[in-house]
Amino acid sequence: MLTLILAVGSCRKEEDIIDPVPVIPESSDVRFDLNEVPYAKLSDYKFFLGEITELNPNERVLPYDVITPLFADYAKKKKFIWMPEGSSASYASDSEILNFPEGTVMIKSFFYDHVLPNDSRKYLETRLIYLKNGEWKFADYIWNEEQTEAYFNLDGAEVPVEWLENGTDNKNVNFRIPAESECFTCHKSNDLAMPIGPKPQNLNRDFEYDEGSMNQLQKWIEYGYLENTLPANIITVVDWQDASQNLTDRVRAYVDINCAHCHRQNSHCSYRDLRFAYSETTDMHNLGVCMEPAEDLGAALTYVVAAGNIERSVMHYRMNTTNPAQRMPLLGRTMIHNEAITLFEEWINSLNPPCP
Amino acid sequence: MKKSILLLIAIVMLSMGSYAQNSCADAIPITAGIHTITQVDGMEIPLPICANNGNGAEYGEWYSYTPTEDYSVTITTEVPNSPVVDTRFHVYIGVCGALVCFSGDDDSGNGLTSTATFNVAQGTTYIIAFDDRWSSAGFNFNLIENIPIENPIEFSTQAIDIMGITGCVVDMNNDQLDDIVSVESNMLRINFQQANAEFVTWDYDHPTVDETPYWSIAAGDFDNNGFCDLLYAGGGATIMMANEDGTAYTEISPGEWIFCQRSNTIDINNDGILDAFVCHDVEPNVYYLHDGEGGFTYYQGGLGDTSDGGNYGSVWVDYDNDCDMDLFIAKCRGGDSDANINQMHRNNGDGTFTEVGETIGLADNIQTWSSAWADYDNDGDMDVLIGASSNTNGSSKLMLNNGNGTFVDITEGSGWDFYTSNSIEWAPGDFNNDGYVDVLGAGKFMLNNGDLTFSQAVAPASSGAIGDLNNDGFLDIVANQLYLNNGNDNNHIKIHLKGNDSNADGIGARITVTSALGTQIRDVRSGEGFSKMSSLTAHFGLGIDTEVQRIDICWPSGMTDVIENPEINTTLVVVEGTFHVGITEANSVENAFDVYPNPASAELYIGSSIDFNKGIATIYDMEGRMVKQTQIENGQINIQELNAGVYVLSISIRGNTYQEKFLKN
Repeated sequence: MLTLILAVGSCRKEEDIIDPVPVIPESSDVRFDLNEVPYAKLSDYKFFLGEITELNPNERVLPYDVITPLFADYAKKKKFIWMPEGSSASYASDSEILNFPEGTVMIKSFFYDHVLPNDSRKYLETRLIYLKNGEWKFADYIWNEEQTEAYFNLDGAEVPVEWLENGTDNKNVNFRIPAESECFTCHKSNDLAMPIGPKPQNLNRDFEYDEGSMNQLQKWIEYGYLENTLPANIITVVDWQDASQNLTDRVRAYVDINCAHCHRQNSHCSYRDLRFAYSETTDMHNLGVCMEPAEDLGAALTYVVAAGNIERSVMHYRMNTTNPAQRMPLLGRTMIHNEAITLFEEWINSLNPPCP
Repeated sequence: MKKSILLLIAIVMLSMGSYAQNSCADAIPITAGIHTITQVDGMEIPLPICANNGNGAEYGEWYSYTPTEDYSVTITTEVPNSPVVDTRFHVYIGVCGALVCFSGDDDSGNGLTSTATFNVAQGTTYIIAFDDRWSSAGFNFNLIENIPIENPIEFSTQAIDIMGITGCVVDMNNDQLDDIVSVESNMLRINFQQANAEFVTWDYDHPTVDETPYWSIAAGDFDNNGFCDLLYAGGGATIMMANEDGTAYTEISPGEWIFCQRSNTIDINNDGILDAFVCHDVEPNVYYLHDGEGGFTYYQGGLGDTSDGGNYGSVWVDYDNDCDMDLFIAKCRGGDSDANINQMHRNNGDGTFTEVGETIGLADNIQTWSSAWADYDNDGDMDVLIGASSNTNGSSKLMLNNGNGTFVDITEGSGWDFYTSNSIEWAPGDFNNDGYVDVLGAGKFMLNNGDLTFSQAVAPASSGAIGDLNNDGFLDIVANQLYLNNGNDNNHIKIHLKGNDSNADGIGARITVTSALGTQIRDVRSGEGFSKMSSLTAHFGLGIDTEVQRIDICWPSGMTDVIENPEINTTLVVVEGTFHVGITEANSVENAFDVYPNPASAELYIGSSIDFNKGIATIYDMEGRMVKQTQIENGQINIQELNAGVYVLSISIRGNTYQEKFLKN
C-alpha cells in the first residue's frame, strides 16, 4: 500500500508538490475505519479509483439512485453505498429505510454540468451519512476550485454557480452547502439521525450498471448488500415525470422526497397537520387538499391545496416563491423548480369538487 | 324640432340607463333585500380597495345605500338558491372621486362568497361596489338591516405606502411619533408620522444588503446617536445604522450564517450599549455584543443552548422584578424532542444567565412561536399568555405570576380555554385604554375584563406591528394596511424614555404607573411577537382615571426616576436621572412602620398601623440603586434573592412614601 503511494509521489520534484492530485490505484481497498472517520479529505476513503472527478467506484462501492429525486436547485447527484465486508441490510417495510449494518456509508456527490465559463462539470460537495455505534453520523466534503480534492467541512458554505441547464438555459445560483445542523433538520425521525432515500419504495427501479440494466433491489441482493426477504409486492413511488402515471401519484412521489422529511409523523414539523410521506398520502387530506393553513400568508390563500384553484393554494404559493421564510421546502432549495410547478398546477386544476 | 329633441333625449337616457351602476356616479340606490348582478362589467374599477387581496380587478358594479335609521347592516353574496361565485365588495363613505373605505369583504362567506357586517348611520349615504377580482360571473347579494351592535373596538382602515417586508412601527427620528418602516433588499422606506397625523415618505436607496428581515425585524438606537437603527434577521444578521442626522443608513453585516427566527435589541452585558440577540432555529442561540461604534462580535452559547435549537419567540422581560431583563424563549419542535420545551433564562445581574424554566413552572412543551408578557391583573408582576402555534401539545395557556417569579396555570375559566385558535404571533397591548392589557392573536383581540378573564373581539388583522400612528393615545395596528383605532373616551399616558447611562431608548427599563385603578407596569422591549417590531414608547390606558399619582422608572443602569402627578393624555419624555429622587430626599415619612425580622433572609414582614397592602415596595441598596420593586401582599415581601447587605425599603401607597432601613443576611 505504502510503496504504491510513494511510487506516485516520487516522480515529482519536492517544490512542485503543493497540492498533490490524489490518484487512487486500482488495487486499493476502501478505507473506512469507524474509529477514525471522518477523514480530512474525500480521497482518504479511497471510494473512487483513478482521477477523483471520474467518481469511478472502488470495489464494493455500489452506485444507486432513487425513482423521484430531491430537487436541489437543479444540481445533479451521484449516489453510492458501501458496507463492510460480509455485512448486509435487511428489509423493514416498503416505506422505511432498510435496516443497515454497522459501518454502512452512503456517499452523495452534488455537481452541475455545462458550468460557465468553460462548459464543464463542477463538483460542489460530497455528503456522507454513516452508521457508527448504531447512530447515523454526517460528514461533508467541499470540493476545491481545482476539482482535485474535497475537504471535510460541516460549517456550511455558499458556492456561486452559473451554468446552462439542458445545455441551453442560462441559470445561476448561490448554492447552499449545509451546516451539520441543517443536515440533521431533515435527516432525522424523533430526533434520531437517519437517511431518507434508501427505502424500498424509492429503490425499486432499474439501474444502468456497467454490467447491464437490472432492478436495484435484486442487484443489492445479488451483491450481498440486501437479505433476500423482500415481499412479492412493494408499494413503489412513481417517477414524478412519468406522464403515463396518475397526476396524484406523481404529486405524492414528489412531496414524499421533497417535503416529507419535515412533514410526516415524527418529523421536525409534525405539529402541522400535513402528512406527506408516500405511505400517508393515500388520504387526500394529508396532502393538504381543503386543509386550512396553520400560518397566515394573507387572506387570499384559503387552503393548503384549494381544489381547482391555484391562486388560493398555499402549497402552490410556497413552491412558487423564493422568499426564504415562505418557500417550501424551507431548506435544500433556493430556486423555483419550474417543472414541478407545471405538474402541481395541472394536478390542482384537476381536483374536484372545490373546497367548501 | 321639439319632438326629435325629446326623442333624442329619450334615446340618450335609455342608453344611459343601461350604463347605470357601472360607475360611482351612476350608482343605483338600493334598499334592504336581495339584488341581482348579471355580470360584473362596469368600467369603473372600485378604488380604494377595502377588502383583502389587492389589485387585479378590472370591472365593478356600483350601488348606493342611505339608511333611514341607524342599523347594523350585513351585505352578503352567500344567498340561498343562488350561484356560488367568488365575489368581492367594498363599502365606502364620502363622495365619488374621494371615497373612503368603510367596510368590505372578500372571502368570509362559504365558497369564497363575501360577507360583512357594519354599523350605519341614519341619513348617511354608503357606496357599495362589487368587483371582478376573482370572477365576473353574475350573482345575487342580500342587504340585511339589523338592530345596531357595538363592537368593543372599532378600527378604520387607511391605505399606506409601504412595500417589501413590513411589520415595523417605531419612532425612527426621535420626535416621539411612531413611524412605519418597510424594507426591500436595496431600499429602506420610512413613513414619518407628522404632527397632523399624516405621513411623509422617505426612501433610502442603498446597495443590496446581505440579509433582509424575512424572519424578523427589531429596532433600537445601537450607537446612542438619537436615531433608531434596525436589525434584520434573515439567513444571518444585518444591522442598518442611521447616520448622525437620520439621512442615511449604513449596512453592517457580520456574516455568520444563522437560521434566524425572532430577534431583539437588548443590552445583554449592561454596558449602556444595545446588543443584538437572534434566536437560532436549529442550533444554540446567538448574539452580537456591540462596542457602540459598529463593531459587532459574534457569540453562540449561554442564552439557550439546546443543541438542535427549537428557538422561535424570544422576549426580554423582567419576570422576577429585580430590574434586569431576563430572557423567555417560546419554543417549538416536532417529533419526540425536548427542543420544544420553553425556557426562562434568568439574568443573574453579573453578565451570566441561568435557565430556570423548570423551577418557575414555565418549562412547557406547548408548540409556541411567541408569547404575550404583561401584568394582566395589575398586581405589579409580569404574567404571560403562551400562544399556541399548534394545539398538538395543548392550546394557549395563561400563566399567572405568583408574585415571587413562579407561575401557575390559570387558563381554565379565563376564556383562553375556549380561544383555541393558533397563530405564530401573539402580542400584548391595552387596545381599549381601560388600564388592563389585552392580547392580539389569530385575528382576534382577547379583551382583558380586569378579573383575569378575557373576552373575544374581532380584530382588523390577524397580527401586526403595534403603535400609535395618529398620536391620539390609542394603539393602532400596521399589517398590509394601517388600522387606526377609533378610540373611546378613556384616558391614557405614554412615556418615551431617553437613556443616559442606559441605552438611548431605555430598552430594558421597567415603568410603573400608579393611578386610582391601581398599578400598571411595562418593560420597554424591542421585538415582541414572532416577527414584528412594535413601538418603544410605553403606552398605558387609564380608563376613567383623570390623574396619575406617580410614575416609577427603573433603568437598566439601576438609576431610578419618580415623576409625581404627571400630565395625562400626552407623551411624557423622561430623560434618565432627571427625576431621580435620592433615598435621603423624597417626601418620605420615617418611622411609620417596622420591618421584621431584622436581619431577614427570606421574607420581610411589615408592621404598621397603616395598611400597606397593594402598595409598591421599592428596595434600594446603599449606592441608591434600585434592586427590587414589587407589590406588597399580605404585609410581606420576599427578599430571598437579594445579596447580603443593608437596604432601604421605600413604600409608596395612596400618594405617600414611607421608608425604613433593613439588613439582609
